[in-house]
Amino acid sequence: MRTYVLRRIALFVPTLVGASILIFVLMRLVPGDIAEILVYQTGSEASAVQKRQIQQIRRELGLDKPIVIQYVEWIAGAARGDFGYSYTQRRPVSDILKERFPRSMELAILTLLVATVWSVPLGVVSAVRQNTVLDYLARVLSLTGLSLPLFFTGALVLYALVRFFRWLPPLEFVALTENPSENLKQLIWPAVVQAYYISAPITRLTRSQMLEVIRQDYVRTARAKGLGERAVVYRHALRNSLLPVVTFIGWWGGRLLGGVVIMEVIFAVPGMGTALVQAVSYRDYPTVQAIILVMALVFLGINLLVDLLYAWLDPRIRYA
Amino acid sequence: MDVDVRNFLRRQPLGAAGAVVVLALVVTAVAAPVLAPHGPKETGFAPYLPPSGDFPMGTDQVGRDVLSRVIWGARLSLYVGMASVLFGITLGSLWGAVTAYFGGATDMGSQRVVDSLMALPPIILALTLMAALGQTVNNVIVALTILLIPTAARTVRAVALGVMASPYMEAAEAAGSSHGRVILRHLIPNCLASYIVLVTTNVSYAIVVEASLSFIGAGAPPDEPSWGGMLTAGIQALETAPWMVFFPGLAISLAVFGLNLLGDAIRDVTDPRLRGGLG
Repeated sequence: MRTYVLRRIALFVPTLVGASILIFVLMRLVPGDIAEILVYQTGSEASAVQKRQIQQIRRELGLDKPIVIQYVEWIAGAARGDFGYSYTQRRPVSDILKERFPRSMELAILTLLVATVWSVPLGVVSAVRQNTVLDYLARVLSLTGLSLPLFFTGALVLYALVRFFRWLPPLEFVALTENPSENLKQLIWPAVVQAYYISAPITRLTRSQMLEVIRQDYVRTARAKGLGERAVVYRHALRNSLLPVVTFIGWWGGRLLGGVVIMEVIFAVPGMGTALVQAVSYRDYPTVQAIILVMALVFLGINLLVDLLYAWLDPRIRYA
Repeated sequence: MDVDVRNFLRRQPLGAAGAVVVLALVVTAVAAPVLAPHGPKETGFAPYLPPSGDFPMGTDQVGRDVLSRVIWGARLSLYVGMASVLFGITLGSLWGAVTAYFGGATDMGSQRVVDSLMALPPIILALTLMAALGQTVNNVIVALTILLIPTAARTVRAVALGVMASPYMEAAEAAGSSHGRVILRHLIPNCLASYIVLVTTNVSYAIVVEASLSFIGAGAPPDEPSWGGMLTAGIQALETAPWMVFFPGLAISLAVFGLNLLGDAIRDVTDPRLRGGLG
């Protein structure tokens, strides 16, 4: 187990470094000098003033140094929690992250919770009552979820909320610690929409796992010794089929981030996603770089955790 | 792949339904200039007209015919989807096959590059690429190509490693064939099945990502008839003009559904392990 953990962590570091180089290089490919864009956007009159401003911004951003130095300075700053200054929001990028990160994480966790609570039982029912109306209904329901693009379901739900319930996107975000019920009112809809989207693969996997386990000898033994159906299904079959499901849900946890961006845009949640989209459109590159790096870190971190969890649960992995 | 059409219909009724939808999509895309009553960027009608005989899907915020834009959108979606999948999956498959063949440090290094590309959630990587490249339709194809390369490289590498272990590869090398000949004549033909599956299953994915990018305002320029971009404009006017959301959304859902059904069926037919299974 130790060697597996060490090897897996050793893989994590170069990947993160690779991703950070990728992000950094991509941001340098942007057509036009960032300093020039910033100055022309503010639209001053004299070109001499503009030139001096451009020089000053270049110095502040460190753009006059060689690119390797720039990268090292950026990544060293990031490691200390210093991501530079956002020109459009006029505050340190780390402040933006501190404000937005918990919101997006809350939305992601809520989405996973809703998806699990809804799709695991659905998969179990679908398997236990295989080829009945209930099974078909569950499968059609989850397949539809997979075929409808996230932003379309989101738009439909938003339309229904606005039209029939006079729901309005909140003007100000309320933290969970401040007012839990107000907070949930804001986040539950985007969570439900994305949960519906990701529930299809989870339901399908739970169903196929259950179908496999239910045919095992030990399940037949459990039935043969006279256990009730409930005990057979929950204590023997479900527990043994959950392992891949748990890791699969964890794996989705990472991939969720892309969808969270879309959900935040639709439901006007002021999280990392909306901040990212806004920063891209204002060409606020320190912010874009920082948010993407944090997302990569979360994504890789979750993948690492899932792999370790899987190895811990299933000895075959770590000795492979 | 000498699959008899009638046999395919009988064995894969859902796949056949998907094929019909895909065919309709292709016809719409090809015949868009004939089918669409107006140009995709033609303005001049009253904005926010509800669906009627003249405008079956209504008009949008600057007075363009939504039906025409949905029809032209089929062309844009299919063009972006097919082009990026062909480039991305082909390049990625070649990359995977070649690095698996040479193995060692080449393979190790390439795997780390693939890891780094896959370290970002797909939409985020595409968004970053679009920010760097600038918003044009062809840059969307470039971004999607880069998105698809690592997936294909990883899948085909695994398949190629399996092929490498087979005796005929050893025989080819023992017979003195050059690297190029072994790769072209033996390795790549044996990876072809997974290549076909990757292509057919990823077109719908590419179309959804294109629409998602346009939706968050980072895809094709706003005046292009992208289904995703049309949805964004629709959300701005959700209460006054819900048809601006419904029709493009319906179009994309139908296209994705059809492509998924067809892709699944082709996968089942191509993969001998799944043949005859209940799925």
